[in-house]
Amino acid sequence: MAAKPIASPIPVALYPTLSVFTLAIGLVITAIFFIYETTSSRKNRSLGKELATSAVASVFLGFGSLFLLLASGVYV
Amino acid sequence: MAARIGIFAVVVAVFLSIPAFSSAQDLQIVNAERRIDLSSHIVKAFLTLKVENIGKSAAAEMLLAFSPTQIKNLAMVQALAITGKKKKKTYLPLDVKPTEQPDAPNDTGYYRVTFVSPLGPGETVSLEVLYILTHSLEPFPVEITQSESQLVYYHDSAVILSPYHVKQQTTFVKTPSTRVESFTSIEPANRAGKEIKYGPYENRASYSYAPVIIHFENNSPFAVVEELVREIEISHWGSLQITENYRLTHGGARHKGVFSRVDYQSKRSVSGASSFNALLAVLPPRVNSVYYRDDIGNISTSHLRTGFRKSELEFEPRYPLFGGWRATFIIGYRVPLEDYLFEASDGRRYLNFTFGCPLVETIVNKLTIKVVLPEGSKDPSAILPFTVNQDLQVKYSYLDIVGRTVVVLQKDNVVPTHNVPFQVYYTFKPIYMLAEPFMLVSAFFFVFVASLAYVHIDLNIARK
Repeated sequence: MAAKPIASPIPVALYPTLSVFTLAIGLVITAIFFIYETTSSRKNRSLGKELATSAVASVFLGFGSLFLLLASGVYV
Repeated sequence: MAARIGIFAVVVAVFLSIPAFSSAQDLQIVNAERRIDLSSHIVKAFLTLKVENIGKSAAAEMLLAFSPTQIKNLAMVQALAITGKKKKKTYLPLDVKPTEQPDAPNDTGYYRVTFVSPLGPGETVSLEVLYILTHSLEPFPVEITQSESQLVYYHDSAVILSPYHVKQQTTFVKTPSTRVESFTSIEPANRAGKEIKYGPYENRASYSYAPVIIHFENNSPFAVVEELVREIEISHWGSLQITENYRLTHGGARHKGVFSRVDYQSKRSVSGASSFNALLAVLPPRVNSVYYRDDIGNISTSHLRTGFRKSELEFEPRYPLFGGWRATFIIGYRVPLEDYLFEASDGRRYLNFTFGCPLVETIVNKLTIKVVLPEGSKDPSAILPFTVNQDLQVKYSYLDIVGRTVVVLQKDNVVPTHNVPFQVYYTFKPIYMLAEPFMLVSAFFFVFVASLAYVHIDLNIARK
């Protein structure tokens, strides 16, 4: 048959594991971000560092919540 | 130029008139055998015809005639051409289409069967025709009590209605039990056990019709789904979610009087002989997350057996169904994506799914299948082996911006023979799959930016 079956780009069995790991990493980086916010003073705060940390944290949290939705059966 | 158009018109007219002429007069049915199966509420009739071309020109097609009431209730007509003899018979499917003839007597309906190759003069061909009638068993008495058996009328003709002369024909009618109250006798007709034989009849002219009524007992479950809406949601992240909304009724003799649960449970063989309480749904093999619920909540009376080729869900409504009673419920399940979604050679994706209703031996009065394509799909089109009404809608679901295109297929009078695969084609660029995580990422980033702004903004009035 010429028909090629299409499957998900990431194996479905990996969704729960992936969600746990990406969410864990995302929460750790979120913690780093908020620790930086509270421990630095107004003078030596660097906007670039803040934005970089928040961007990386939001990517991990975003993908982690997507995999969490998929693992729990809400196939978005 | 005008002369050319004139010649073309004449040639077209000649071509159009030839088939009409050759099909009505030049064919003759040498032998016809009809077997009508009345065992369930779906009437199946098998016609074996031996057609001879007694004209001078080749015939490319023939007509099958049906009475006006039968045409309304016809769910499916299929024809096969038989070649070869005895053990080496091969069956070739033929193209069958409903057609209208201008000079039809008494509103007869027609179906046109196209032969594999045009039948030459003097040649014969053997055909096997299957046609399925729904809602053709009329309950009589119309209302019965719980302890009575269900008796129905079947109206038909002892002589096969045909636009051609039929040289010899026989009709066999099979009833589900040996209890036949009465049947119209058109000599020679006799009954032996569960079979009534009408015939053989010799040399009947075209359009001859001999109405018969058979009054017999039929206690098979008259399960009729008044409306079924099946929604198939495709998610490229790995699964197909199917949700089916049923409105089921018992289409047989209406129930009158009280329903005695004591009688029903103690004398089950006598009480409620025509009622049914269990139904079987045939689901795809690798099915998971099956649920069966209605407006009240989950219904626990169900058994699921998964298997290699198919899964079976045996379920019971909350109460047994007697004539005229209704049950509404929802069945939902999930199947893996790779079993049903494929990539065609031209790069388009297509869904290959089974049409029809998963319940066995049920008629669906109105079937709607909605295929929800993922966001970002373009150019949807559906390919089916029979005619359906097609439509497009938009559905808003999880993480949607522009909405998902829904291909709506609608068909009336669906029987289990309609459970054949159909395809829905669409184009999809895989990069669009990133739209959903991108939305989540930007939502989280917005929260971070908001907290940054809060920390950086200085709202002090006093100067430091």
